[in-house]
This record gives sequence, C-alpha cells and structure tokens, in this order.
Amino acid sequence: MSDAGVIAIGWPQLLLATGFVLLVGVLSIRLSLGLERDLAVATLRTYVQLALLGFVLRWVFGVDSVWLVLGIVAIMVLMAAWTILRRSPDAPRGLFATTAAAMTLTGFTVTFAVTGLVVQVDPWYDARYVITIAGMVLGNSMTGIALALERVFADLDARSDDVLALVALGASPWEAAHDSVRTALRAGLIPTINSMAAVGIVFIPGMMAGQILAGADPVMATAYQIVVMLMVSAATAIGSVTAVLLSYRRRFSPDGVFLEKGLRHDAR
Amino acid sequence: MLLEASNIRVSLPSDEGTALVLDSVSLALAPGDFVDVAGPSGAGKSTLLRAFARLVPGVEGTLVLDGVAAETIPAAEWRSRVALVPQKPAMFPGSVRDNLLVGWRLKLRHGHQPPADALLRERLDRVHLDVDLDRDAARLSVGQQARVALLRVVLTEPSVLLLDEPDAALDELSAAAVTEVARDFASGGRAVVRVRHRTSDGAATRRLELHAGHAREVGA
Repeated sequence: MSDAGVIAIGWPQLLLATGFVLLVGVLSIRLSLGLERDLAVATLRTYVQLALLGFVLRWVFGVDSVWLVLGIVAIMVLMAAWTILRRSPDAPRGLFATTAAAMTLTGFTVTFAVTGLVVQVDPWYDARYVITIAGMVLGNSMTGIALALERVFADLDARSDDVLALVALGASPWEAAHDSVRTALRAGLIPTINSMAAVGIVFIPGMMAGQILAGADPVMATAYQIVVMLMVSAATAIGSVTAVLLSYRRRFSPDGVFLEKGLRHDAR
Repeated sequence: MLLEASNIRVSLPSDEGTALVLDSVSLALAPGDFVDVAGPSGAGKSTLLRAFARLVPGVEGTLVLDGVAAETIPAAEWRSRVALVPQKPAMFPGSVRDNLLVGWRLKLRHGHQPPADALLRERLDRVHLDVDLDRDAARLSVGQQARVALLRVVLTEPSVLLLDEPDAALDELSAAAVTEVARDFASGGRAVVRVRHRTSDGAATRRLELHAGHAREVGA
C-alpha cells in the first residue's frame, strides 16, 4: 500500500474538524447539558494521545528492533489488563496478575497467529503489522473480556442463595459457579458475534474504512477486515475464557466456601 | 458421638475490620439428638450452623465427625454428611424433580443411583406437598419451595441435619409436617440442629441459647 492515494491532512483541516466539536460545545451550553468541560478535555486528549501515538509509531517503525516491538506489545497487554479491571467494578481486588496473564495469552497468540500464519509478514516482528494488529486485537477484545469478568462476579453475587445451596450439598466451586461462568462468557461473546453479523450491512468497520480512504482496493480491504473480525472474536473468546476461569475461584475460600458479601473483607 | 464441636471461634468481616461472632462454642451431638438453637438476632445462630457445616472461612476450634477430625475429611464430603438447609430456599431452573435431585448432579455422587419417583412422591406427601414432580419449581409458593429445599437435603441422607429457620415461611400445618420430617430424621440414629424463632413445638430434646457469640445449654 503506498501513500499515493492518501490526500494529506494539515493543520487547517484538523482545525476545521475541531470546529464541529466547538459546535457541540455551544449546543451543550445552550441546552445546559454540562458536557462542555468533558468535551474539551476529551478533544485535547484525542489530539495529544494520537499525536504521541503517531510519533512513537514513526520512531518504532524506523528503529526496526525485535525487542522494542515485543516490549511495546507487552506494555499494551498490561494497559489492556488495567483497563479491563477498571471497567469491572464487581471484580475482587488483586486480579491484575490473572487478567494480565489472560491478556498476554490472548494478545500474543492471536497477534502472532495473524501476522505469522495469515498475513505472513517478513520479518515476523515487522512493527508496522505486529503493533497495529496487536492494538486491534487488544482494543477490540477488551470490552468483551471486561464484560465477562464483570458479569461472572455480579452473577455469583446475584445467585448467592443458589450457590450456597449447591456448596451445602457438596458442590465444588466449579459446580457451584458453573451457571455464572456460562452466563458471563455468553455476555462477553454476544456483542462480538452480533457485530460480526451486522458488519458491512449496518456499518463499515473502522479499519476497512481507513484502508479504503488510504487508497486500498476495497476487495483487499475486505479480506483484511474479515481477518480482523475473526481474530477479534477469537481474541475475545480466548481472553474471556482465560480471564474468567483464572478468576472465578476468588469468590471461594481454599476449601470451597462461597464468599458471599458478608463473608469477605473486600466489599466490592 | 456423631458430631463433636469444641471451642468453635468464628470471626467475620465487619465495618470495623473483623468481629468475633462465635466465641468458644462447644456442642456434642449423639445419635437421636434434636437441638434447638435460640437467641436474639445477631447472636450468631446462622453462623453456628455454617461453622458446623464448614461453610464459613476461618473456623477455629475442632470439629470431629464419627471420631474423625475435620482436617482429614474433604470439605465437600463433610458438607454432604453435616448438611445445611439454608434459610432462603434456592430453586434451580427446572421441575420439582430436578430440584429434589440437584445433589445427584454433583461429582460427589457420581455413580450413585438417585431415588426413584415413587420415593420422591412419598416424601412430598409427608410434608403435605401435593404437587406434580414435573411442575416448574419456580411456580411453587415460598412455603412449598422451603419444603422442596428441605427434602432435597434430607434425600441425600446426611448424618447431621442443620436447619436454619425451616418453618419461618410456613403455615401451622406445613410447619408441623416439616418438624415431623426432622424428628423422623433424628430418630433414625442421626442428629438435628435447628435455629428457630417460634415457640417450642416439643420436638427438641436439647436447647442451646446463644448470646453475643456465647452458648449456654438450657433444658429442652
């Protein structure tokens, strides 16, 4: 893919786009929505964060080091784990290690399966592909994984009478938590499955739109998009299953007592 | 002795960190014992039942079942032999039969033959539950659910039955039927410990009073 088809955007164009946000700000003030501060901060963050990303990527692509690429993917994995836990208020504390393990498994397996086996990039650590695809894998699977993790603990609390009754009958933590685990995994995977079903009819996904704007052949962009959709659902599945299976046991004591709300210090 | 609990201490999380809920409670149960546990709310009655069933974390003291120390009996097996019927009846999706046989779906009872329909019906009759085994359990009244939850545990034939207010949601006739089931259970060489608020129904052979985590045995 060359830059030939891309129409360059400069400061005037960026400012024009920012003008639309100003319009929303005026609307927010006139309608007393109280969003103008958040909007201003969010716009500023968009500028700063994406500008940084652009410069960092340009630098990384230039350096061409395997360790740098792996290090960046590792940092992305940790950031993803942190974000997931922040979005799961019902999850107990102290899940960072297991969530990071789940995201490591997900991020590295799916990213390198795609770059190595599907796209077959050369060298295998080509930053342009590895970092971009890792970003899509982690970014798009995070929501589903957070949903699954949040749901398993919320559901265990909601079903605490059932879980107690099962444990009292001699159920293992797995047997007692099984229904909640299933509910959680379904909750995590359904949005991804739904978006796979709606793609191309209801919306043109961001990556495909970007590639077409950058001058790529729409059919080639489609092939990439299919790979992306499939890898995102694979990543969501691997990540949710790993994260939930590694963590549901936290609601049980070592000898299988279900730690309902009154039995745990961690009131979360 | 069937079950021997000595110097049971349980601390549970509280707003101030931890609170001592049970302080050096001891109780020995012989076959045929039927113990009522009374006391004001917050005295630790439910926690006592849970401690006997090893259903609270961090129980201190010693628990011995049929002469065997708790440490050498896996927790799941212990709970199947010292079985708690929780205060709130839990109904699982499915029929009355499914709910009565929940225990047989667990790995613990793999290979064990579940009771036949005839026995289930007979047990339902005994607690005045005239419902079809195929009926959706979610459609039972709270009082009916309480009896299904009790039978579900009794059917697994534990050695000690722990009942947390088994008749709180029941009318007089059903409450009497539930008591009858518990009395039968105890007279079969096993033991019952029951937390109950109502006035004595004459079933208990012993009576334990709990106050602020301390237990005192009084006459039946």
